[in-house]
Amino acid sequence: MAREPQVSETKLSHTAALILQALDAGFVYGFSIMEMTGLPSGTVYPAMRRLERDELIRSHWEKQSIADAEQRPPRKYYKLTAAGKATLDASRRRYPLLERLIPSEEAKTV
Amino acid sequence: MRLFSSWKSGKWKSRAAHWRWEPAARLLHVGLLRCASLLVQGDRRAEWIREWRGELWHVRQACAPLGRAGWSGELEVTQFCLGAFQDALCMRRAGRQPRQTVATMEGSAWQCILILVAILAASDGIALLLTGVRAELSLWPREVTPNLVLIQGQGSNFDSQPSIYPQQFKSWKERKQKYFDGFAFYRATRENVELGSLRGDRQGETTWGVAHASTNIFALLGLPVRFAEPDRSTDGELPEIVLGEAVWKRQFGADPRVAGVVMRMGTQMVRVAGVVPDGSLGLPDKVDAWMLEPDAAMGTGSAGYVIAHLTPMGQAEMWASCVNITVNGPNESQDYLMGIALEEWRPAPGTLYGFALFLALLALPAITSVSLGEASVNPQKTSWGRRLNRWSFLSAKIVLLLAIVYFVSLDLAYGLTGLGRERAVYVQLISTFLMCLFGLQWVLKDQRQRCPVCMRCVTHPAHVGQASRTFLDWNGTEMMCMGGHTLLHVPSLPTSWFSTQRWLYLDTSWEFLFAGSTQQAP
Repeated sequence: MAREPQVSETKLSHTAALILQALDAGFVYGFSIMEMTGLPSGTVYPAMRRLERDELIRSHWEKQSIADAEQRPPRKYYKLTAAGKATLDASRRRYPLLERLIPSEEAKTV
Repeated sequence: MRLFSSWKSGKWKSRAAHWRWEPAARLLHVGLLRCASLLVQGDRRAEWIREWRGELWHVRQACAPLGRAGWSGELEVTQFCLGAFQDALCMRRAGRQPRQTVATMEGSAWQCILILVAILAASDGIALLLTGVRAELSLWPREVTPNLVLIQGQGSNFDSQPSIYPQQFKSWKERKQKYFDGFAFYRATRENVELGSLRGDRQGETTWGVAHASTNIFALLGLPVRFAEPDRSTDGELPEIVLGEAVWKRQFGADPRVAGVVMRMGTQMVRVAGVVPDGSLGLPDKVDAWMLEPDAAMGTGSAGYVIAHLTPMGQAEMWASCVNITVNGPNESQDYLMGIALEEWRPAPGTLYGFALFLALLALPAITSVSLGEASVNPQKTSWGRRLNRWSFLSAKIVLLLAIVYFVSLDLAYGLTGLGRERAVYVQLISTFLMCLFGLQWVLKDQRQRCPVCMRCVTHPAHVGQASRTFLDWNGTEMMCMGGHTLLHVPSLPTSWFSTQRWLYLDTSWEFLFAGSTQQAP
């Protein structure tokens, strides 16, 4: 009897929903999410670990060549998974102000 | 937003001063991240620190760019770095998830097998450490020379009374015999033995039963002398004694380097030549040590026993383990003697174990049902794979249990070096029987309470029904599989319509109740 993923029914905290919304809006790494949401690093990064553990987001490293060209260390980017998008939709219904706090058109690269 | 706004507010005024301590601030921030990384598991630490250092670079660019930052900017960066500790703790907690997996093993088939394997390893390890067990398994022969008889006077019957004098023995040995092709003589005496010479105190003085025996006695019996020094010459040296097994264990702690030890026995000093098993043939008189002497040295002392080996013609004269012997004595008189067969009465540990196991299997139905209780309420067909798993698990449990019983019984019987060999045999027999009996009872009971789907033990027993309504309605105990696969119904009182336990297989509609503890069915 395998456990079926119950993605759409996952109840997220407001913080986690805010981070998912920020990711959906295009803020794809930790520092940009901190800036967008105003949450401290001690909140954002652990929350992203839990979201990644629950397979709502996934991460990947930037190519070293890109970072070398810009003379900076490479950074880790995050993006929503299909389960994360479904959960975000459910969270938007639960927190109607979520989209107003971080509208998708504000997506930008910091 | 907060960080950018703080940068735009232009609070940093002492840029020149900042140039001086900026390297120290960078060092502090990297140090904070390094310290935090110590909280992260080793295999994840490198990637974790890489991400945080990458982020730190960007935070510093935003908050404290080179030459333009101030105290406030550095404080922002420091606050960012302090957040790394919370993230590291979060990672650490996430790394403990496998422990929860161990917790979910509770009651699982693997947990049961692991516990049994651990007990087996412990009992085997103890058996290897105990010198008594090692000696029993490796030192002593299981078979001695066949067709041996103990010759004694007919008047003494089966009582252990020495009745053969050395002169008689010598005369038999000198003559050509038709029924015997080998003789050995021994007589037992009590001797004071002073172990103080090797222990350095007077506490070591004791009395031993010492057998003065022919030099060929062990060759005739087929018993090996262990720990003897093969290259040692005895010419012109101290007389040698061979220790019995019990004394070797009791007085010398089963020390394999016992050969060569010198002690005082009676009025003379003697040297230990080796160790032989005792009690194996049931020879009369308690013998703690053997002193081997040539026939000429036996003189005309007190009576003793003669051990003889039968020729094929002598074997033909044996009747009911006895043979009557008539010997022509001096002055044409005749002595009537009796030869009693010496047989190995002590079986090997493996033989004893098999016998006790057989007895336990016979007794098992008397204390528990041998049914595995696989009847089900609903017409659920168990797949062949699951049946195979179930039977494999049962077989593994039985094999491990029997191996544990074998080693534990050896530990109990032969671990205590002070326990005589005769007692050790009974200890092994009884302990093996009891452990096999109650162990197999546990195996069957445990198997009956394993979910047929996931092999976990059913839990949360709940009593259902009333005892007064036993014959009208269901009355018994209901237990559930925490994997959400089955319910087990055990009747309190077997009835004609509900005589044995039954499994109720749950369908998928029950899954939501067990969402937190659902286990993958094998």
